[in-house]
Amino acid sequence: MKSLEQVGKYFELLVRVFSRPERHSLYVRQIYNEIDNLGVKSVGIVTVISIFMGGIMTLQVAYNLKNPLLPIYLIGLGTRDTLILEFSSTILALIMAGKIGSNITSEIGSMKVTEQIDSLEIMGVNSAGYLILPKIIAVVLMFPLLYIISVFFGLIGGLIVGPAVGAVTATDYLNGIQYLFNSYYVTYSLIKCLVFGFLISSISAFFGYTVEGGAFDVGTASTRAVVNTNIMILVWDLILTQLLF
Amino acid sequence: MIEVKHIYKSFENKDVLKNISKVFNEGETNLIIGRSGSGKTVLLKSIVGLHEVDRGQILYDGRDFTQMNQKLRKKLRQEMGMVFQGGALFDSLTVEENVRFPLDMFSELSSAGKQKQVDFCLERVNIRDANKLYPSEISGGMQKRVAIARAIVLNPKYLFCDEPNSGLDPETSMVIDQLVRSITIDLKITTIINTHDMNSVMEIGDNILFISEGEMCWEGNRKEILHSTNQKLQEFVFANKQYQRIRDDKIRE
Repeated sequence: MKSLEQVGKYFELLVRVFSRPERHSLYVRQIYNEIDNLGVKSVGIVTVISIFMGGIMTLQVAYNLKNPLLPIYLIGLGTRDTLILEFSSTILALIMAGKIGSNITSEIGSMKVTEQIDSLEIMGVNSAGYLILPKIIAVVLMFPLLYIISVFFGLIGGLIVGPAVGAVTATDYLNGIQYLFNSYYVTYSLIKCLVFGFLISSISAFFGYTVEGGAFDVGTASTRAVVNTNIMILVWDLILTQLLF
Repeated sequence: MIEVKHIYKSFENKDVLKNISKVFNEGETNLIIGRSGSGKTVLLKSIVGLHEVDRGQILYDGRDFTQMNQKLRKKLRQEMGMVFQGGALFDSLTVEENVRFPLDMFSELSSAGKQKQVDFCLERVNIRDANKLYPSEISGGMQKRVAIARAIVLNPKYLFCDEPNSGLDPETSMVIDQLVRSITIDLKITTIINTHDMNSVMEIGDNILFISEGEMCWEGNRKEILHSTNQKLQEFVFANKQYQRIRDDKIRE
């Protein structure tokens, strides 16, 4: 019953978030700030994680394809498709729910418990729209870009690690990542990224905006936001996979 | 002028405000006093609409706030300024940006005009050389003064202060009290202040409402408060030995 009430409040908040802004120029300025804060500042961690995961994936595929009947270029192909289909969209979304999501919840939650949100309301500002809409737009815009960066550096990671440990030659790996490329996989993943970006930003913002109490409660809300976002990402991954294939 | 009529408010079946009625006059510092947990903050937040009242009316110069839709409320709120207990300055903005924020949001002034108004308000609250600092880099007293500057930057008709002296030393508290009082008189605005600080009461209490356990117990001004025979008010006022001595001296005279 309480969960249903939460869902209702979430949609109620979304209605307020998407109502007409008071001053467009201020919202645009906020969007630029959030793109920098939530998107650009995530490029580093996305790059590092993707290089390592690309390398690990190449090794895993190589160890599991130790069969003389299977062509060696399948290592590159397997790495590529895993990155494009699931790692750089879904797994990255789960990681970003922790980084971006907890950032959003704690920022908005802290503003709530220190009455900064009340202060906006008293001024006549739609606090939900002003604080949350720019974050949603920024994350939805940036997540597909982070996905592309992740695929690229994941493939680079495979190219570094595979030949370095003798699992595959650079030529075979490069042949593999170009073999039987299906561009629809990218389209499918980009659609998922848009949905995941929306889920991460809106669910995290909801838990921050509805927090009551003090610093401890902000921490608890951040944890709940990450857990709930992760569950919703997996649920929507399942739904979108069924719908788009 | 703000008039509250028969206000009731409860949270989860607990009555917090019971039949509160009061007129808060323009150009006066109106004080809501009472012990911690007596319902002062709930009353103030109900008046500004941060809490919805269960019953009763809140009239801003005759305009019934309780009957307004969100659009009308938002418009009326542009006539309000509020200083919160902790200042509630935006952490990510500098002092100057905090004061400028309401102007950026609602004013049609040019950039130079906005800057002039920001400088005027910061000057009014005696903030100098701190324009580019962030709230975390200034003292509690300065934060309160910046919050006052932000609250008055749009020339509000109504100013609300929730325990503006909490956490401040007596000297800074007096500066804040006098600042709010002079702004109220100069700008002829209706000011409502929540406090449990007896020094503030005796310093600036033009029109005082004392509430206890969500009920109106007494109303009057700072001259009358020491002579009141109301038991609960006496317990509140004379909890401080200094005020007991003042009362005893008066009786002896």
